[in-house]
Amino acid sequence: MLVRGKFWGLLVLLLLVAGPAFAEESMGGGGSINHGLIAIAAGMGLGLAALGAALAQGRATAAAMESIGRNPNAADRVFTPLIVGLALMEALALYALVVAIILSGKIPG
Amino acid sequence: MEHGFTWLSGFGVYEPIATAVLVSLVVALFAFVVSRRVAGLGQSVDPEDGLTVRNVSEVLVDGMNGLAEGVLGHGYERYVPLLAAFFVYILTCNLLGLIPGFLPPTGHFPMTFGLGLVSFVAYNAYGMKAQGVGGHLKHFLGPVIFIAPLMLIIEIFSHGFRPVSLGIRLFANMDADHKVLGLFTDLTHVVIPVAFYVLGTFVSVVQAFVFTMLTAIYISLAVAHDH
Repeated sequence: MLVRGKFWGLLVLLLLVAGPAFAEESMGGGGSINHGLIAIAAGMGLGLAALGAALAQGRATAAAMESIGRNPNAADRVFTPLIVGLALMEALALYALVVAIILSGKIPG
Repeated sequence: MEHGFTWLSGFGVYEPIATAVLVSLVVALFAFVVSRRVAGLGQSVDPEDGLTVRNVSEVLVDGMNGLAEGVLGHGYERYVPLLAAFFVYILTCNLLGLIPGFLPPTGHFPMTFGLGLVSFVAYNAYGMKAQGVGGHLKHFLGPVIFIAPLMLIIEIFSHGFRPVSLGIRLFANMDADHKVLGLFTDLTHVVIPVAFYVLGTFVSVVQAFVFTMLTAIYISLAVAHDH
């Protein structure tokens, strides 16, 4: 619990620092905070989606490993639903990738 | 980061369509060769040795029948041609992108969205044929009549999102995979891209399989009735 508090505190601090940092850059002639925010949104959104997908896929694979360990003969019957489940979870992370690509296309320069 | 040279770059903005036509020709040629080879066989059940056209087609037919039977239960034979067409076409499209100088046609969102729309129209048509137009639309109202308006909205959104999700899943997988392959081949020119080729082959097969399996599941949901 103490670790989680530190994590969120660090995140808020990072966001507060990043705002002025992006405003100072003279990319695109003028330093508007909006382009920086779009960039952060694209990067962070994709990172969070990848985090969620990785956690969920890890749990699914762990369950599949355990069931194969208990019953090695069932490996083929477990493998197909595992792959389908992994692809469906991957698709959710890929929706975030598509949004990130669209957002990063909106940053001029 | 532009793509560099492609064999069909002469078609300009129509390159995905030209590549898709090439894939159709390749698949049609494969089907023609298989039909010629299998025509004179009679009742032979001995498999041949090695990688022949007949063995590949037998593996394909076996796999597709197994998939359709596993998902659809009895009465699966009438849906196998559609599912097998999806699988073979999408697999060939994906694998063509791994050959240097080709863009995978499925890395183009209008193309994968079209495939998703075909799947959407197909499972609705099969549902209407199996249960009548009214019977199929009654699915949208849910189990109990009291929550019908809410269920209608939920079901319309859920059904409407299906072709989009099928399309985006296939498009994003193939596009990101192709770009990653290009990026790493630019960075390290030898040996390391082999790992990405392995990943690319795996992703291509898995995405074709997932598309086909999801279409089969949607058909089974639309056609399911307790008889």
